[in-house]
Amino acid sequence: MTAIVLVVAAFLLLLPFVYESRNLLILLTQVFVFSIFAMSYDLLLGFTGIVSFGHAMFFGIGAYSMGIFMKRFEPTLGYFFLAVLTTVVLTGIVSFLVGLLTLRLKSHFYAMLTLSLSGLFLVLAEKWRTMTYGNDGFTFRVPELFIDRTNFYLLCLIVMVAVFLILKRFTNSPLGRVLQAIRENEQRTESLGFHVLHYKIAASVMSGVLAGVAGILYAISLRFVNTSVFAMDITLDALLMTIIGGVGTLVGAIIGAGLIEFAHHWLTELAKEHWIFERWIIFFGIIYILVVMFFPRGIVGTLRTLSWNRKKQPAVKKEEKIAG
Amino acid sequence: MDLIINLTLNGLATGMLIFLLAAGLTLIFGLMDVLNFAHGGLFAWGAYSGLWIYSQTGSFIIGIICAILTGFLLGIITEKWIIKPVYGNHVQQILITLGLMLVLSEMLKVIWGPNQITASPPDYLKGSWELGGVIIIKYRVFIILVGFLIFTGVQFLLKKTKIGLVVRAGVMNKEMVQALGINIQRVFMFVFMIGAGMAALGGVLLGPYSGVIHAGMGMEFAILAFIVVVIGGMGNFKGSVLAAILVGLSGSFMAYYVPDLSLAVNMLLMAIVLIIRPQGLFGAKG
Repeated sequence: MTAIVLVVAAFLLLLPFVYESRNLLILLTQVFVFSIFAMSYDLLLGFTGIVSFGHAMFFGIGAYSMGIFMKRFEPTLGYFFLAVLTTVVLTGIVSFLVGLLTLRLKSHFYAMLTLSLSGLFLVLAEKWRTMTYGNDGFTFRVPELFIDRTNFYLLCLIVMVAVFLILKRFTNSPLGRVLQAIRENEQRTESLGFHVLHYKIAASVMSGVLAGVAGILYAISLRFVNTSVFAMDITLDALLMTIIGGVGTLVGAIIGAGLIEFAHHWLTELAKEHWIFERWIIFFGIIYILVVMFFPRGIVGTLRTLSWNRKKQPAVKKEEKIAG
Repeated sequence: MDLIINLTLNGLATGMLIFLLAAGLTLIFGLMDVLNFAHGGLFAWGAYSGLWIYSQTGSFIIGIICAILTGFLLGIITEKWIIKPVYGNHVQQILITLGLMLVLSEMLKVIWGPNQITASPPDYLKGSWELGGVIIIKYRVFIILVGFLIFTGVQFLLKKTKIGLVVRAGVMNKEMVQALGINIQRVFMFVFMIGAGMAALGGVLLGPYSGVIHAGMGMEFAILAFIVVVIGGMGNFKGSVLAAILVGLSGSFMAYYVPDLSLAVNMLLMAIVLIIRPQGLFGAKG
């Protein structure tokens, strides 16, 4: 498994130097950005069993922080890092508060509060015209280092791999194990003496901050930001990517992001042929419902189950481990 | 004075529309433990189908009836094919109903096109009355009356009929009702149908009230309805009507005095309720 990941990463690393296609480069950059976003979502949904319907707000906070810093001040690396810091602090605070308010209640509350809070952020971005230029958004210049598409491509790739490794380590750590225990059986985890709320809030904050990072990269890649970064569509993207790719796997989130972004690209092209493809989201909606109903583990999860069944022995061992 | 009466009527009318949406949500949640994120989609479908029939036949009454029937039909389909397969799994339920919301609102765009559709009330509900120098818009009064009628009707259904008794018992303890030999699945479907019908009715009433309908309105109103459900208490029918009126009134007054803060105030209210009384402002059921 690790070998495959390394080969793919090496391939992607060399790609811009051997194959010069601007469009593909931009598309892949987008895939990386959304992979980060989807992985952060997977940490909540797949590893902790929390459903958020407002993940776009963290994404949007990241995008707007970067945009506003670049627009108001000089587009230099110093301000870039300042914007990153602002994003981390803001997303951290927001996700902490949301978690504190709702995570002690039933899972519906978190979904509802995030949904309405992201709606509030959307309104805020529309109304606070002096800062955000309202609905139209604004363009901005980016630090010199990122003007070159190849450089930025590499940055996104590196960040994605880093986030992947961090989350891999995070979910395999004792803390991550507790999160997975919460997903499987919350009461039992609580009765084993873990303070469930603290762990859930930790997951919420980690996920929120990483989603903010994805938002930063997204804003730089477009060099433009408007209210659409707070829209429900962004959250839905993360949901589709994570669910279709496979929850609780991290790799699934990356695969899902690739699938959805490429499919989106192709279907938009197809829209010139027939108008039905303009409503491409409907196909994904139907696939999504079917996946939730029949393959709740998504592509990666289902493939893993299949390969476990083939090799019966390790599967049994794994179950023992979980039970122990 | 004139202004305050109008703002109050406006708030009451909006509150009633939110109530029609939230009542179904809260009943379904109380009975089945399902938070239906597709409820806004049913609301929008009611609006589109009802107003389409209204524009075809020219009769608003037939439009309303069609909207309710559409709601019933979609409610049955949703319950039977989407929610039943995943009963008992909260995360899956939440995810699947949101997926349905997505499909429902995209379907609207496929059938009726992505643009806004305008709507106006029928002639007999157009215009306004003048009472002692105060101008009262007829359509708003109409919405308030319909909302009140539905509230009394459902309240009667819950308190005075056999099925209402079963529903109330089901909200308290599902297993016990089942153990007494009542087919709770049938009751689930009935409640889901009623809830969807009310949402669709709310949608079709909203059309002429706001003047335009668009596919995104389902989500907008669903957010308000969620706020109402939290404030009123999940599963609390009476709480939902009071909370809906509260949210409607605060929305209408804030929209006039401090327009930028109207959604924020409702959010704040919800946050406060979540902190101090997560079981809702009204009623004691936790």
